[in-house]
Amino acid sequence: MDKMSLLRESIMGRRSLLQGLGAAAIGISITGGLAACSKGEEKKSASGEEPKLNFYNWDTYIGETTLDDFKQAAGIEVNMSLFATNDELFAKLRAGNPGFDVIVPSNDFVERMVKADMLMPLDHAKIPNFKNAAPAFTDVPYDPKRAYSMPYTWLVLGIGYRKSKMKGPIDSWKVLFDSDEYKGRIALLSEAGDLFRLSAKYKGHSVNGLNKDIIAEIEAMLKKQKANVKAFHEDNGQDLLLSGEVDVVLEYNGDIAQIMKEDPDIDFVVPKEGSQFNSDNLAIPKGAPHPENAHAFINYLLDAEAGKKISETILYPTPNAAAKALMPDDYKNNPVIFPPAAILAKCEYASYNAELQPLYEEAFTRIRAD
Amino acid sequence: MQDWGTQKRVFAAIATAPILWLFTFFVIPLAVLWAYSFGRNVGLTEIDISGTFANYARAIEPLYIAIFGKSVAVAALTTFICLIVGFPVAIAITFAAPKWKPWLLLGIMLPFWTNLLIRTYALMTVLRGEGYANQSLGWLWNLSSNARVVLGLQPLGAWEPLHLLYNNFAVVLGLVYVHLPFMVLPLYAALDRLDRSLIEASLDLGAGHLRTLLTIVAPLAAPGIISGVVITFIPALGAYLTPDLLGGTDSQMIANVIERQFKRANDWPFGSALSFILMYATFIMIAWQASRERKLKREEA
Amino acid sequence: MFTRQPIAPLEYTRRWSLRAWVALTMFFLYAPLVALMVFSFNDSRRNIVWQGFTTKYYLKVLHNDTLMTALLNSLTIALFATIISLVLGAMAAVMLWRFRFPWKSAIEGTMALPIVVPEICFGVAMLIFFAQIGWPMDLPWPFSLGAITIAHVTFCFPFVTMVVRSRLASFNREQEEAAKDLGASEWQAFRDVLLPHMKPGLVAGALLAFTLSLDDFVITFFTSGPNTITFPVKVYSMVRFSVTPEVNAVSTLLILMTVILTTIALYLQNRMTENSGKGHS
Repeated sequence: MDKMSLLRESIMGRRSLLQGLGAAAIGISITGGLAACSKGEEKKSASGEEPKLNFYNWDTYIGETTLDDFKQAAGIEVNMSLFATNDELFAKLRAGNPGFDVIVPSNDFVERMVKADMLMPLDHAKIPNFKNAAPAFTDVPYDPKRAYSMPYTWLVLGIGYRKSKMKGPIDSWKVLFDSDEYKGRIALLSEAGDLFRLSAKYKGHSVNGLNKDIIAEIEAMLKKQKANVKAFHEDNGQDLLLSGEVDVVLEYNGDIAQIMKEDPDIDFVVPKEGSQFNSDNLAIPKGAPHPENAHAFINYLLDAEAGKKISETILYPTPNAAAKALMPDDYKNNPVIFPPAAILAKCEYASYNAELQPLYEEAFTRIRAD
Repeated sequence: MQDWGTQKRVFAAIATAPILWLFTFFVIPLAVLWAYSFGRNVGLTEIDISGTFANYARAIEPLYIAIFGKSVAVAALTTFICLIVGFPVAIAITFAAPKWKPWLLLGIMLPFWTNLLIRTYALMTVLRGEGYANQSLGWLWNLSSNARVVLGLQPLGAWEPLHLLYNNFAVVLGLVYVHLPFMVLPLYAALDRLDRSLIEASLDLGAGHLRTLLTIVAPLAAPGIISGVVITFIPALGAYLTPDLLGGTDSQMIANVIERQFKRANDWPFGSALSFILMYATFIMIAWQASRERKLKREEA
Repeated sequence: MFTRQPIAPLEYTRRWSLRAWVALTMFFLYAPLVALMVFSFNDSRRNIVWQGFTTKYYLKVLHNDTLMTALLNSLTIALFATIISLVLGAMAAVMLWRFRFPWKSAIEGTMALPIVVPEICFGVAMLIFFAQIGWPMDLPWPFSLGAITIAHVTFCFPFVTMVVRSRLASFNREQEEAAKDLGASEWQAFRDVLLPHMKPGLVAGALLAFTLSLDDFVITFFTSGPNTITFPVKVYSMVRFSVTPEVNAVSTLLILMTVILTTIALYLQNRMTENSGKGHS
């Protein structure tokens, strides 16, 4: 038997598989990228731009029908691409915008991208739905007066835990950073910056008040704590908690809220020392080919009804007050998704600090190598 | 080996495309990063190429040398285990009936057409404290415990799940899992349709199978073993996902550190310096090996 | 080439120890895949706790345009990258094996670098490279996959070279000489003598290149434009919100499809060999 012709056979097989898939893809999505390529019969949208938009988003971070709804409403075809981390988004746009119109960076990256002159200022006159945003999100430290970004979702870091395994009330960062009470049952987020800032919070500092001495102090504390930690997780702490690998985990409230639906033995708390906010934002990168459409799209996402559909899918806290009002009670009044105001008052946004970030990273490398 | 000058046209016909490709799409793009490795960050996106060696000085600090050493050790262990596991498999494929050969090859390759991340997640479901591996072991444990009771012996203690995840063991296991075909394929490629008369002669002369394997088959497979070792060891050294997901608190490898420089730390110059140290080492190793082989051959001739 | 006897000493595959070893290895390779397949029927958004049987993720997959497009893109890229890598890799292997030329050690060393370069480093290098030369990002499909394919070929073909070259080491040059003495041209000698000998190396190299290309995330991410999602990019983007059983379902479908297609291919191959009497070995 002849292996080369075998391989040829199987490649041929693959090719016809491809053709089948191709046909299937075209069949399923007449609206897909393939069809969008036929430029001939395009009409100009109201904005005078071709009716297209390149949206760069996190995966499953949009309502199930939102893009279709927008197409119905505005006649603009949204083509969504995906990124997995802010760092990748930043690195990718750093060399120049390859054609994205709307991106979804987190708060510190909005700040970073503004500093690096990578974002286009927004024209608020074209985003009337900005009025729907809750007051806490209309003027934020990372983007004063919302000159460059619009709020999309927000999150807060805290402790997710398995209720039946706890030896006492969980209300302090101590269980994660400075205690052997849950030895071998702890998982921490492997983000150097977050770890150091939250440890600083535990020690009574602001998340933006770190310096070299505090970093050294925290490094010593975390080196000691490392023996009690089972793993540094890649933002999949909710999976570790749900599968019973660990009992306490540093995670975002939205992620824990999702698994609480599956396992009633799980709960979440924002510790009494306060914590760090995170917020994802809609922004237009410089060099966007369709800025008018981008404004229209951002405005649409801030719409009450559209915002409701988005929140229904992603179940993260929404900064859209009008959309929140439309949501059912088990979302609106969920203390995990919307922690009590008293505790939120102690939480801060971390601002990007170009001097400290490498120090966090190096200290974290030392902690892990130790 | 021929001198290129004797058959210039043949040489040009086969050498132009790969060398040109390598130069255009590898050397030129990487030259930019090579220049960065002698630069420093000014501002968020600007890199000033000042010709400084500070990045390299930092890269050879004990902290990074230690991580590098650890990565080499992990990759070497992975390669060794892959060789032990993969060699018999390659033999099996080589000597299998022609009907079975494609199936065995496919059997080895199929798992690797499932996405690496998905595969790693699947491995985690198996290795987890309450995963299948532990469940099966616990079942066996209870079975033998019951058997002891039947035999009138003391029952065994309660089954304690093994910690199969989030440690260096898991990292090596995961790396072996991920890199096995990198070893099996070159071995198979080297061994297939070898001159079997040698092996038959060896067996006819009364050498055992193991001895034949070691003294006849292994030397014949040597080029395959070398290339298998190289293409298993080097990618294992560059693995970052496996240590990230399966490793414990101290399982970081050099690729994790490099990745963080390009991402979170936003320190491309330092990340480039670390990457190029890896590349210098490989380049020197391969080029030295190549010229040594040639010298040996020349001396023989 | 060799005579097949009823109890040949070389039929290692008949030895139970070797069979057991292969079986164990296969078990090691497939146990996680079985877990994956099982969880594709799990009625939960996560692959963790069994919540009940469902086939809804298979239906979801079939209606998930992004996933299907991503899969189509990945397979297209892998196919082209494999073919080009195979040609380039084989040429490079023959060049290094056959000729002595100036700067050979340096070129050999450089050839190994795409294997060692950290993915992220090469990804960033390609990002800058394509941005600098102004590679158009809005080409129609499948040309929109060009940049990714180029990058994939670059890191795949040295693997092919490595494998093919180790295969060439066992080639008996006298065969080629003999062919030429009998009047074969350079090309004929290559096609009829050298190429058949290289076959196992080419098969192995192609399998490696296909696998590497299909699985690559980092380099793909940095070379993709706004229109090109590949399967790994889709999967890695899922990490933030947990990877859903949808992906397990796709993977299961892919595995099944590969097995079925190969079975058909092998069946046809057997039929053809039988029809044409004796196939050459």
